[in-house]
Amino acid sequence: MPEPVTREQAKKFYETMCTIRCFEESVKRDFLNGEIPGFVHLYIGEEAIGTGICAALRDTDLIESTHRGHGHCVAKGADVNKMMAEIFGKKDGLCHGKGGSMHIADFSVGMLGANGVVGGGYNLATGAALANKMILKNDTVSVVFFGDGASNRGTFHEAANVAAAWKLPVIFVNEMNCWASTTPYRTTTAVEDISDRAKGYNMPGVIVDGQNVFEVYQAAVEAVARARRGEGPTFIEAKTYRIEGHFVGDPEHYRKKEETMEIFHRTDPLKLFKTQCPEGIEFSQEELDGILTAAREKIAKAKEYAVSCEYPDPSEFLTDVYAE
Amino acid sequence: MATELLMPKLGLTMTEGTIDEWKKKEGDAVRKGEILYSVATDKLTNDVEADADGVLLKILVAEGETVPCKTLVGWLGQPGEAVPDGAAPAAAAAPAAEAPAVGAAGAAASAAPAREAGAYVPATPYAKKLAREKGFDLAQVPATGYKGVIVAKDVLAFTPAAAAAAAPAVKASPLAAKVAADLGIDLSAVNAHGRVLAQDILAYLESTREKAEPAAADAREETKPMSGMRKAIARNMLASVQTSPTVTFNLGIDMSEMKRYREQLKAKEIKVSYTDLLVKFVSKALTEFPLLNCSVEDNKIIYKHYVNMGVAVALDNGLVVPNITDADKKSLTEISAEVKELAKLAREGKLPPEKLRGGTFTITNLGMYGIESFTPIINQPEVAILGVNTMEDKVVVRNGEMVIRPIMNLSLTADHRVVDGSVAAQFLQRVKSLMENPALMLA
Amino acid sequence: MRKITFSEATREAMAEEMEKYPECFVMGEDIARQGGIFGQFKGLPDQFPGRVIDTPISETFIVGGGVGAALAGARPVVDMHFADFIGVAMDEVFNQMAKVRYMFGGQAKIPLVLRAPDGLAGGGAAQHSQSVESWFIHIPGIKVVAPSNPYDAKMVLKAAIESDDPVLYFENKVLYKESGEVPEKEDEVPYQIGKARVEREGKDVTIVSYSIGMKNARAAADQLAKDGIEAEVIDLITLSPWDKETVLNSVKKTHRLCLVSECVKQGGALAEVAAVVAEEALEYLDAPILRYGAPFTPIPFAPTLEKMYRVYPEDLVKGIKGVL
Repeated sequence: MPEPVTREQAKKFYETMCTIRCFEESVKRDFLNGEIPGFVHLYIGEEAIGTGICAALRDTDLIESTHRGHGHCVAKGADVNKMMAEIFGKKDGLCHGKGGSMHIADFSVGMLGANGVVGGGYNLATGAALANKMILKNDTVSVVFFGDGASNRGTFHEAANVAAAWKLPVIFVNEMNCWASTTPYRTTTAVEDISDRAKGYNMPGVIVDGQNVFEVYQAAVEAVARARRGEGPTFIEAKTYRIEGHFVGDPEHYRKKEETMEIFHRTDPLKLFKTQCPEGIEFSQEELDGILTAAREKIAKAKEYAVSCEYPDPSEFLTDVYAE
Repeated sequence: MATELLMPKLGLTMTEGTIDEWKKKEGDAVRKGEILYSVATDKLTNDVEADADGVLLKILVAEGETVPCKTLVGWLGQPGEAVPDGAAPAAAAAPAAEAPAVGAAGAAASAAPAREAGAYVPATPYAKKLAREKGFDLAQVPATGYKGVIVAKDVLAFTPAAAAAAAPAVKASPLAAKVAADLGIDLSAVNAHGRVLAQDILAYLESTREKAEPAAADAREETKPMSGMRKAIARNMLASVQTSPTVTFNLGIDMSEMKRYREQLKAKEIKVSYTDLLVKFVSKALTEFPLLNCSVEDNKIIYKHYVNMGVAVALDNGLVVPNITDADKKSLTEISAEVKELAKLAREGKLPPEKLRGGTFTITNLGMYGIESFTPIINQPEVAILGVNTMEDKVVVRNGEMVIRPIMNLSLTADHRVVDGSVAAQFLQRVKSLMENPALMLA
Repeated sequence: MRKITFSEATREAMAEEMEKYPECFVMGEDIARQGGIFGQFKGLPDQFPGRVIDTPISETFIVGGGVGAALAGARPVVDMHFADFIGVAMDEVFNQMAKVRYMFGGQAKIPLVLRAPDGLAGGGAAQHSQSVESWFIHIPGIKVVAPSNPYDAKMVLKAAIESDDPVLYFENKVLYKESGEVPEKEDEVPYQIGKARVEREGKDVTIVSYSIGMKNARAAADQLAKDGIEAEVIDLITLSPWDKETVLNSVKKTHRLCLVSECVKQGGALAEVAAVVAEEALEYLDAPILRYGAPFTPIPFAPTLEKMYRVYPEDLVKGIKGVL
């Protein structure tokens, strides 16, 4: 039974996707201008997945994100000003400038952090699920996002096995974007659909169109309900495509830009949104354009805020190594 | 009971000092209050007085040597009194019982250490530390430690007297011995093949002369040791330029208002110098620009919520920078009186050490020599210094007309580690506007 | 005073802490049904049903899951079976456990204890006998402890569980069986992580050790005493952050330093102690620093070879006499 979606919810989906898109475009521009240190990995084209999944979660539910984590962070409800300040390395950022893009986290909304180690999040999410179900005795759900590259880490096996064996409330969300850094997924992996592996753990594995926020949302609602009922984990494979390079500045010698852009024009979740709306829900183009413009303005303000913030005080250099 | 003479600690920041000069020799009679030795720190030279009548028994730290504060540098006592801890007594009536005993023990172990002159002397760090504190020459200490290393107990068991007693083991011809005795030369220091002959003594004498007076033959040059103050200045200036990347900023100030202000005060019998005025006005500006009034330590910036204004005072043989504490809170007349007093004390060499510490900013005035611009060197650990130049009537343009105005250049040197150009410039601007519009002081 | 074994002492500590913190639980291989391969968990499963968990043989999950559980608000203790196996979960230790607090700007706290039985046990050979504590003192963000007697075993484990920072607790397999005086609960003195103990005062040489190395230190001190040589013996207890002050004060008094541990001497945990003494108290040393540890070789199986791998008190006595 599909969960009915209200017009208000649908609008919120679109707003979140636009916020992620504008956030990433702004970060890309500022990175190329040399305003952002380090390196950043963008979520452009994959917005529907984080948005659809997080929409099915409560604030208290937990997510483990990846190095491509800005979208998850926005979708889970983090403040974009504080996010942007963090990416600029400022003391008013979510992590006070100590984490940056690859370690962005906001515990206040259940975002337990982007993980710089590919495949580093499975065990953390599963351990959190274990604690919530077996020790703290609540119905909190954990989600771990990971790409197709990370699906080949051994940590997946250990976490998936335990999650299924103990029916832990954890959802494995595979963002199947076809690229493991610069290596095409198919050259390193024999299965066509990674979710085929779910069978091996005796957990449901479902495939959704990662470009359709409504479809992702429906799958997430079902998985969350299953987890809360104590029936264990679900593997959701969301088919998508990585539009940007692995990181901003990636020369992308390993693929053709025209091909990528062709795919983007065909599958851009923002463009497809209008046609994907369930029956009875309609948006005029003006309204959608208005939402995008508002998101752009919000992100412009976030950038202004980030620039206006100070870098961390040298006195903060040694704090937070230990709690005591 | 012999009294310890120590390297004094002349203030909180002093960690070590240099014996600048011994005013007395070992064995000299000393009266209470007489100066025994002078100590140079990086800030100034201080005299240490005897606190009792007696005899300078022993000097442990030679002139020019730098040792940590509270290090034993010598002994003061009564004639003939033994110096504690194995150090040789200066007076002839030595406790004969003790020295030979230790000497014998030393001889049994390894008598006079047979080391080549100038060779590295293996010793543990702790043995070295002890020897340094006691003023012993490690080369004279017999070693009993592992692998022939001098260890702490060797130093503790050592008395220079024992070594001296063992020293005459050097073989010399009777003539050589007499010549050496006449000239006061230590035979063991003379380099000879086998027995020391008179000619070896003369060759040695020649070689020491060359070392001591390398330019003696050339009357057009003269070599003199630096005074303690000169050494301190040299060390501080070098350290400053090695520490701070500096930029100097120059700005001309129209002193018309200052002149008028000074005349008005004069009319009321209040005499103040331009330096006094600068101290007052610059202190005010510093309270608004805390970065110019800070110091840097280990990647930390220490902001001072007070202004201790240093004023450089030139002396015949150098310069000192006493400071006016809390200058930002003092009235012009208070400042003026203090500047005069400090300059007087400085010239008399009576500045109390606390007046030389804790400055936060410095003013140095070369205006009286007609200097128009210079690049002063920062007085560490401050981060800026203001050079004051001569005041001169100049033609300037005001409201499209040429007029004559008294112009004085200020030369601000600032440490770019913390003071960026824009900050320094704004600060200088502020000093200018205050001095050109003294009414702003009230704002 | 009552005497109990090291193993019993750790069990008491676990029971008292699990009683105190309902969110405290323990998981690892063979700990519930078997009671731990050294019996150190015996009885706990009955006392705390559901809170002593047998895991699959999945070290990355055991450690990573522990980190996740801590993030979710639990107070986990995870057991490594043999310290040798920590290598399997190294990413979970040094990139996750040690980093999450700092890189998220203090948002996270990780009240996690990783228990790791270590040391030569007689025929364990290369992969079941190692002392690997030295790897971890190089990692900021975690604390490393290694008690040497039953009383410390209890108090240090309690302090580790109560700490809001991740603590690696190395417990020596041979020490498990050894008995020692442990006061009744009301007479216990809490241990403060980071503090060393001067176990025996002396003026001629300072011997520093920890864990089973303390047996060598104590025995050497006894033998030296017969010859009138007074050794000061310091039990470091915490290896990171270690008690510099106590060691430096002792060296300034005795002017000689002898270090002994069971781990490989090269790059061993006490190499840091040697380096700091050389850095900060060189001028107080009246002899070269003596170090005793295992040779630079994997641990051999044959009893005759294993014997050669060990350090003996006579080695220390000979060395110390050589520099007096």
